Amino acid sequence: MVRHVIRKAAGWLLMIAVATNATYFLASWFLDPRSNFKELRPVRSEAQIDRALAPYNLSPQEPLVHRWWDWFTSVVLHFDWGRSPTGVSVNGEIGYRALISGELVIIATVLSAVIGVTLAVFTASRQYGWADRISQAVSIAVFNIPTSVAALAVVFVAIWLNQNAGLHFLYVAGENSPGVEGLFPTIGDRLLHLILPTLSLTLMGYVGYHLTQRSLLLDTINADFVRTAQATGLTRSRAIRRHALRAALIPTATSVAFSIPAMFTGAVITETIFGWNGMGRYFIQTIAKNDVHGTVATAAFAATLTAIGAILADVATVFLDPRVRVN
Amino acid sequence: MAAHMTNDTASGATPADPPARQADAPHLGLGRLYLRRFLRNRLAVVGVVIFVLLVLFSLFGGVFTSHAYSDADFAALTQPPSATHWFGTNQGGNDVYASAVHGLQRSLAIAVSVSALTIVVAAVIGASAAYFGGRVEKVTLAVIHFLLVVPSFLILALVSHRLAGDWRVLIVVLTVFGWMSTARVIWSVSTSLRERDYVTAAEFMGISAPRIILRHIIPNLGSLLIVNLTLGVVATVLSETALSFLGFGVQTPDVSLGTMLADGASTVTSAPWLFAFPAGLVVLLTMSMTFVGDGLRDALDPTSVTGAAGGRR
Repeated sequence: MVRHVIRKAAGWLLMIAVATNATYFLASWFLDPRSNFKELRPVRSEAQIDRALAPYNLSPQEPLVHRWWDWFTSVVLHFDWGRSPTGVSVNGEIGYRALISGELVIIATVLSAVIGVTLAVFTASRQYGWADRISQAVSIAVFNIPTSVAALAVVFVAIWLNQNAGLHFLYVAGENSPGVEGLFPTIGDRLLHLILPTLSLTLMGYVGYHLTQRSLLLDTINADFVRTAQATGLTRSRAIRRHALRAALIPTATSVAFSIPAMFTGAVITETIFGWNGMGRYFIQTIAKNDVHGTVATAAFAATLTAIGAILADVATVFLDPRVRVN
Repeated sequence: MAAHMTNDTASGATPADPPARQADAPHLGLGRLYLRRFLRNRLAVVGVVIFVLLVLFSLFGGVFTSHAYSDADFAALTQPPSATHWFGTNQGGNDVYASAVHGLQRSLAIAVSVSALTIVVAAVIGASAAYFGGRVEKVTLAVIHFLLVVPSFLILALVSHRLAGDWRVLIVVLTVFGWMSTARVIWSVSTSLRERDYVTAAEFMGISAPRIILRHIIPNLGSLLIVNLTLGVVATVLSETALSFLGFGVQTPDVSLGTMLADGASTVTSAPWLFAFPAGLVVLLTMSMTFVGDGLRDALDPTSVTGAAGGRR
C-alpha cells in the first residue's frame, strides 16, 4: 500500500515538475515585465528597464534558458520561487495565501463529493420519484449557471438573510475580520468567513458528482450481485450502499483528481467575488502585473492540489476496488 | 456507448459502402424517426425555441433600438430600465439593451465556433488514436491526461491575457485548451469501432488510414459528435464568461456576456439590472442548449431509455 502510494506520488511529482516548468516558459513568453515600466514618469530607457529587472532574474537581455536555469536551481535548492518585477518575494506572498486557498478548495471538494454522492444514492434508489425529479432539475439548473452568477446569488441571499432574518454571521467580504484577538475567536471568525465561499464552490462542485454518480449507480443498482446481496438477507438500502455503491464509486473516485482544476478555477472566481486574498486572486494580480514568478508559483500550487486529489483518489480506489492489488 | 449503432442499421448488409450512399430512402426514414423522437421530448423543443429566439435576438435585436453598445449617453449614467433605455444604462452611460444584443452575439459566435472546432479536433485526434492503437494511442492518451490535470484555465488566462481582447484569438485559445475531454470520450467509443468488419474490409481493400478514419470511423460517431457539439456550446459559454469575468477573455471596448457580468457584479445591490440581464441571457443560453443536447441524445441513441420509450417508464 505504502509503496503503491509512493510510486503514484513520484509520478505526480514528475507531472507537477513538467507542468510548472512548462508554465515558466509560457509565462516568460506571454508576460512582459518591461511593459510595467512604460507608464512610469520620468520615461525610462530600454537599458534602464532591463537593469531594473536584472536583479530579479527577469531581464530579457539574459537568454531565457539561463533565466530558467537560475529560477529552477533556486526553487530546487532553496525552495525560493523568485521575486516579482517590483522585488517582492513570491515565497512571502504565497505562504499565507496557499493556506487559505487550499483550505477553501479541499473543504469544497470533500463536501461536493460527499453531498453529491449522498444525493445520488438517495435519488437513484428512488428513480423517477418526486425527490429524484426535483433534485435532478435543481442539479441541471445549477450545472448551467456560471460560477460568477451562482456566487453572486449566494451573496445576494446572504445579504437578504442578514437584513431580514437578523443573522450576523454570514460574511460576504474578506477572509477574516480585523481586530479579532486570541486563538479560538480567530479560528471561529475564520470559519464563519469560510461559510459562504465554501457554499458557492460546493454548489458548483456537487452537481457533477450527483449527476454522474446517479447514472453510474442506476447502471449497477439492478445488477445480479446486488440482487444476490439482497437475497442473503440485506435490506435494499444496505445492499445498495454496501454492494452497488461500492462498485459505482470507483469511476467517481478517479474523477476527483480531474475535478480539482475546475475547483481551482471556481476558487479564482469565488475569491474575486468574496474578496479573499487567496491564490486565485493572487493569480489574477500576478498576470495583470506581468509577474512571471508569481504566476508560475500559482500554477505549481494548482498542480500540487490536483496531485493531492489524485493520490487520495488512488488510495480510495485501492480500498474500493478488489481488482486493484497492491503489495 | 452504442452511438455507432444508428448508422450501422442504416447501411445494413453493405458495411464498406461510403457513407454518402447511405443517404437513400432508408436514411430519410431514419431522419424522420429522429425528428419524431426529438419532438416527443418537450423540454428539448422548448430548448430549440429558446435558442432560436436568442439567436434572432442577437442578430436582429439591435434594430429595435437607436443606441449602439459603444455609444455613451452621458445624460443617463447608471439609470434603471426606462422607455428610452429598455434595460437601463451602466456606469459609463452605455445602453444595456444594446450591449446585451452585442454581447450575446459575441458570446454565441465564440461558443458555436469553439464548439465546432473542438469537435473537429477531438474527433480527428480521438479517432486516430483509437485506429492506430499501439504507441500512438499511448502517447496521445498521455498528452490528453496531462492536459486534463494541468490547470489549463491558468494557462488559458495566461495566454489570452496577452493575445486577447480580440475575440477571434480567444476562439483559437479556447479550442487549443478545450478539446481533451471530448477527445477522450471519442477515443473510448472509437476503440470498439476499430474492430468492426467494415473497418477491416476497408483495410483489405487497401484504403489509406486517414481515409478510413475520415470516411468510416468518424461518420459512425455522428450522433455522439452532434450531442457533444451542443454540450460543447454550454461548456464554452461557461468558460468564456468565466474568463471574461476575470478580465482575461473579451476585453473592453468589446462586450460579451462575461464582461457584462463583470461590470454588473460590483453593483449587484445598487444597480441589479446591470447584472440581471446578462445573467438571465447566459442561463437561458446554457439551459436551452442543455435541453437540446439531452433531446438529441435521446433521439439519436437507440439504447437511450427516456426518448425511445416516450414516457413508458
